[in-house]
Amino acid sequence: MDTAIAARRRLGALQRIFGLRDFGVLVAAVLIAVFFSALTPVFLTSYNLFNILRQTAELGIIAMAMTILIVGGEFDLSVGAIYAVTGVVAGVLASRVGVDIWLAAAAGILSALALGALNAVLIASTRINSFIATLATMMVYRGIAMVLSQGQPISFRLDFFMDLFGRAELFGVLPVPVVWFAAWGVFAYVLLHRTTFGVRVFATGDNREAAELAGIKTARVKSIAFLITALASGLAALISLSFLKTVTPTQGTGLELEAIAAAVIGGTAMSGGVGSILGTFLGTFIMAEVRTGLVLLGTDAYVQDAFVGLVIALAVIVNVKLSARK
Amino acid sequence: MDETPFLRVDAVSKRFGATRALEAVSLAVDRGAILGLAGENGAGKSTLIKILCGVHRPDAGTVFLAGKPHRPRDPAEAEAAGVSVFHQEIPICPDLSIAANVFLGPAMPRRGIAPDWKAMERRCVELYATLLGEDIDPRRLIRTCTAAEKQLALLVRVLSRNARLIILDEPTTALTPPEVERLFVIIRRLRGQGITFMFVSHMLEELTQLCDAIAVFRDGRNVGRLERDGFDVARVSELIAGRTLRRLGVQSPARQGTPRLEVKALSRPGAFEDISFRVQPGEILGLAGLQGSGRAALVKSLFGAPPAARGEIRVDGTAVAIGRPQDAIRAGIALVPEDRKTLGLFDDMDVKTNICMAGLSGWSRSGFLRLGNLRRVAGRMRDDLSIKTASVDAPVRSLSGGNQQKVLISRWLALRPRVLLLLEPTRGVDVGAKQEIVELVLGLAREGCACVVSSSELEELLQLSTRVLIMNRGRVARELDGAAATKDAVILAATT
Repeated sequence: MDTAIAARRRLGALQRIFGLRDFGVLVAAVLIAVFFSALTPVFLTSYNLFNILRQTAELGIIAMAMTILIVGGEFDLSVGAIYAVTGVVAGVLASRVGVDIWLAAAAGILSALALGALNAVLIASTRINSFIATLATMMVYRGIAMVLSQGQPISFRLDFFMDLFGRAELFGVLPVPVVWFAAWGVFAYVLLHRTTFGVRVFATGDNREAAELAGIKTARVKSIAFLITALASGLAALISLSFLKTVTPTQGTGLELEAIAAAVIGGTAMSGGVGSILGTFLGTFIMAEVRTGLVLLGTDAYVQDAFVGLVIALAVIVNVKLSARK
Repeated sequence: MDETPFLRVDAVSKRFGATRALEAVSLAVDRGAILGLAGENGAGKSTLIKILCGVHRPDAGTVFLAGKPHRPRDPAEAEAAGVSVFHQEIPICPDLSIAANVFLGPAMPRRGIAPDWKAMERRCVELYATLLGEDIDPRRLIRTCTAAEKQLALLVRVLSRNARLIILDEPTTALTPPEVERLFVIIRRLRGQGITFMFVSHMLEELTQLCDAIAVFRDGRNVGRLERDGFDVARVSELIAGRTLRRLGVQSPARQGTPRLEVKALSRPGAFEDISFRVQPGEILGLAGLQGSGRAALVKSLFGAPPAARGEIRVDGTAVAIGRPQDAIRAGIALVPEDRKTLGLFDDMDVKTNICMAGLSGWSRSGFLRLGNLRRVAGRMRDDLSIKTASVDAPVRSLSGGNQQKVLISRWLALRPRVLLLLEPTRGVDVGAKQEIVELVLGLAREGCACVVSSSELEELLQLSTRVLIMNRGRVARELDGAAATKDAVILAATT
């Protein structure tokens, strides 16, 4: 008993010294980096690190928004499909109808928000488990992307828009997607950790009944979180279409599970009420580190998914152990 | 009847830490008799039952069943010895049929490896007919049964396994009056077949109507036994209440002037009907009543969780429409709910956020948190209520129960409410913290807050209240002025 209390105190002191709740995840990220750079010198170069961040920007943007939703006690499995619909709507309007790319992109974002709103209404009004509800909308939305695109990929002409969202490099080194990633990260961080809305998200996910009795409109809190998640999917879709100059109706398949995995590695509790944007950022980074490191080592591509799976399992075990100590 | 009693409890004692749950309790029940157990919550009834059914072991004393020592090590052993207990929550499988629930277990009739449904259904119908004198459809799913029918299914189940002593722990709370009648008919019929019963109820009329004798428990002792020809409801409530206690001397404030809180003809079908009362500034209104008497539901409706269906609520003379908690908060009404774990605290958050949760917007600027403000508000509440915590940034779960309760209360005090509603304000806190919370409420009332306290702990309620409203079956049974409110008067009004 006494040793448990002492251990808890020591843990608390550690956290205070570093001023970082996500200290454990940071340590894991650093250890993985050390591991790979010991095996391959290319790993720890600024080029490679920016490359990792660029490749994972889309996932990270969605995962950080998803963290807000999970902390609030809900999931969204339809993010990958919303990501596809956004791209396809923009693509059809810009390339097949001939609308200006800016208007087409705006229409894409609006359709993402509309689909997010549909998720929110469905879950707020019926109180269906969001895992099931968004599993259904995931399939519906993917169908919409298929129908709109007729199952065909759509490519774009090069434009200033592409530079702004995907291809430019700030100061010649910093890829634009990384800038968007950082900007969205700051937005999500402030929203979840520095606003009254954020506190209400935590309260709703921690104890919904108590939150209601404290005067919090929990259905509204959850609805806003669904909209933010959809907006993130839309933004990620624009970055993708700008970088690749093409969209496919099947893009983003499996993205929802990767986003949840990144949040989990970052210490977000599946039961809601616990999580942080910084943790999810590090979680996304760890997943990308492992993938890139394995590529640099020349590992078989098929083995990579298995390794990422192991990382997730390990992270969850550590999480469970840590929360049991509380 | 036999010479020796069927069940004899001989000087049984049981302690839990410093609490004496049972103190040299002795009692006896004849074969084929019904013994009623009466007493307040915590008087020792449940501990005795748990010893009989093998959940607890006595520290001293012996239990004899049919003349032989009865020392079950777990409920399965007790059941094998013929002792079965019915709790309020009935452990049955809702998606199986009545017949399947009756026979579920290793003794289920089989044909090869498959259950023999035909035999089960046939025997189930037979059992219902011979044991209860009732006709049923054995294929009905338990889910579609009423609470009463579920009880009967469980009764048949234990009787089919040769139960000889059946302990019914508040079996009537979920039943309608006709269902209670039907259950009593069946219990009397089974008594005729030689089954022995112990019957726990807070409703004294039920006890006097059904039982052959009543044993009254108070503070872990068996304080008296009344036989059928000597039943007297007033005498039973006197025995339950015991001594009269000292009051904390709250004076009745002036009855004139606009009441701070006025409730007119408030109803929510199924919970409470036609409730009216007034609370003046500085007054503490106590709500007494059994579980399910509607007092908790009434208090929550004043807070809009869920709202009342009909009636009017006025705060300082102004009618307020309360459809959800936000409306109540806006009207200056605060609610400290009864279960701080599930309804109050945010376990994963720190003390300051827990304290400031209901008034976040006021302490922020255009939606952005001002942590300095939150710390200041929380620090002030910590000092005012002497909440023992390392810091207002400490996680709330690191606090003791009493201090957690104070955090919850201070969430509402920080808003300076005009009306404070408290449900079971001292449940699960230690004696010292209990006294502090009582004094806190008294202090608030002195400052002009109108308080409504609903509590199962009668002593505490009587200590606090300027007036006591006693609820019974969703209605106000009686209103007693502070001075006139004695424990047995309250018990009498709440239980008859």
